[in-house]
Amino acid sequence: MVPFMLRVNALLGIIFYFAIIFYLLKKKALMLKYTLLWIFSGIIMAIMVLFPALLKKFSLLIGISTPSNALFAAILFFILLILMSLTSIISRLNEKNIKLIQSVAILEKRVRELENMQTKTNVAKDQLLKQY
Amino acid sequence: MSIQHSKILVMIPAYNEEENIEKVIDNLQRRVPEVDYVIINDCSRDKTREVCRKNSFNYIDLPVNLGIGGGVQAGYQYALKNGYDIAIQNDGDCQHDPAYIKDVVSPIIDGQADIVIGSRFVTGEGFQSTGVRRIGINFLSGLIKLWCGVRVKDVTSGYRGVNRKFIEIYASEYAQDYPEPEAIISGAMNGAKIMEVPVVMHERTGGASSISAWRSLYYMIKVSLAIIMYRPTLAKRCK
Repeated sequence: MVPFMLRVNALLGIIFYFAIIFYLLKKKALMLKYTLLWIFSGIIMAIMVLFPALLKKFSLLIGISTPSNALFAAILFFILLILMSLTSIISRLNEKNIKLIQSVAILEKRVRELENMQTKTNVAKDQLLKQY
Repeated sequence: MSIQHSKILVMIPAYNEEENIEKVIDNLQRRVPEVDYVIINDCSRDKTREVCRKNSFNYIDLPVNLGIGGGVQAGYQYALKNGYDIAIQNDGDCQHDPAYIKDVVSPIIDGQADIVIGSRFVTGEGFQSTGVRRIGINFLSGLIKLWCGVRVKDVTSGYRGVNRKFIEIYASEYAQDYPEPEAIISGAMNGAKIMEVPVVMHERTGGASSISAWRSLYYMIKVSLAIIMYRPTLAKRCK
C-alpha cells in the first residue's frame, strides 16, 4: 500500500505542478502544443495517486512489488519521454535556425552590393553635377 | 553546352583562412577566369572577412559559425538563387588545385554525371592522406557501397561539382557536421549518377585541418551512424 503521507504530499506536488503549467501558459511563456505531454503525464500521475488500487494493479502488471516504486518508475518514464520530445524540439529549432542564418547572410551580401552600387551612382551623379 | 556557355560557381568555404584566401582566389582567377566564385566566410575569428572586403572579393559573411555543412549549404542556396547550372565545392586552403575544375565540370556538362567527386585515389598521385585516415576512408567507402551500392573511393573529398538538380537538393537539405560522406548517400538516394575524376591534392600550407586527430573517433562513429540511418529514415525526409 502507498503510505498515506506520501499520497497527500504527491497530491500537493501534482497540484503545484499543474499550477506552474497554468501560470506559464497564462504568461504565454509556454506553447500549448508543448504542454500537452506535461499535462498528460500530470493526469496519469494524479490518477495513480487518487486511486491506489489502480496503482497496485499496475505495479503487479509490470512486476514491481511495491506500488510506490511503480509510481516512481512511471514518473521516470514520463520524464524520459518529455526529455526526448525536448531534444526533438531543439533539433527542429536548430534546423530552422541554420536556414535563417544562411538567408540572413545571403541577404546581407545583397544589401552590401546594393549599397556599393548606390555609392557609385551617387559619386557619378556628383561628378556630373559638378561638370555643369 | 560548354564551359563558356554554362554558369559555373565555385564555392569556397573559409574558416580562419586569412593566410590562404588571397592566394586561393588569385590562383582561381588566373587558372579558370571563366567561372564565378563565392567565398563563404563561416564567422572566422581571424581577419578573413577584412581580407575579403579589402580585396572586394565576392563573399557571403555568415553571422554565426555554422561549420562546414551549413557553410557549403549557404553556397548552394546562393547558387540556386543566382541561377547557376553547376556548383563546385573547393576548399579555402590550398589543398585543392583549381586546375582540376575543368575535369570536374566536363562530365556534368556532357551529361555523364550529376555529381562529380575529385578523388585522390583514382590515380594515387599527390598527397594521399595518412595511413590511419586511409583506413577510415576505406571503411566509410565500403559502408556506402554496402548500403546504397555506389562505389566512391574518396568519400571525404571536399572537391566536388554538382548540376542544377543537386544544387536544389543540397540547398534544401545538407548534412551539418562532417557532411561529405553523407552528401554522397543523399545524392545516391536521390538518383544521382556519381562519378570520380582524378585530382592531385596538396598538403595544407597554413591553418589547421577541420578534423583534429583526437576527434577522429567521434567522426567515424557519427558518420557511420549517419550512413546507416540515412536509408531507414528516408521516407520521413522526403516530405
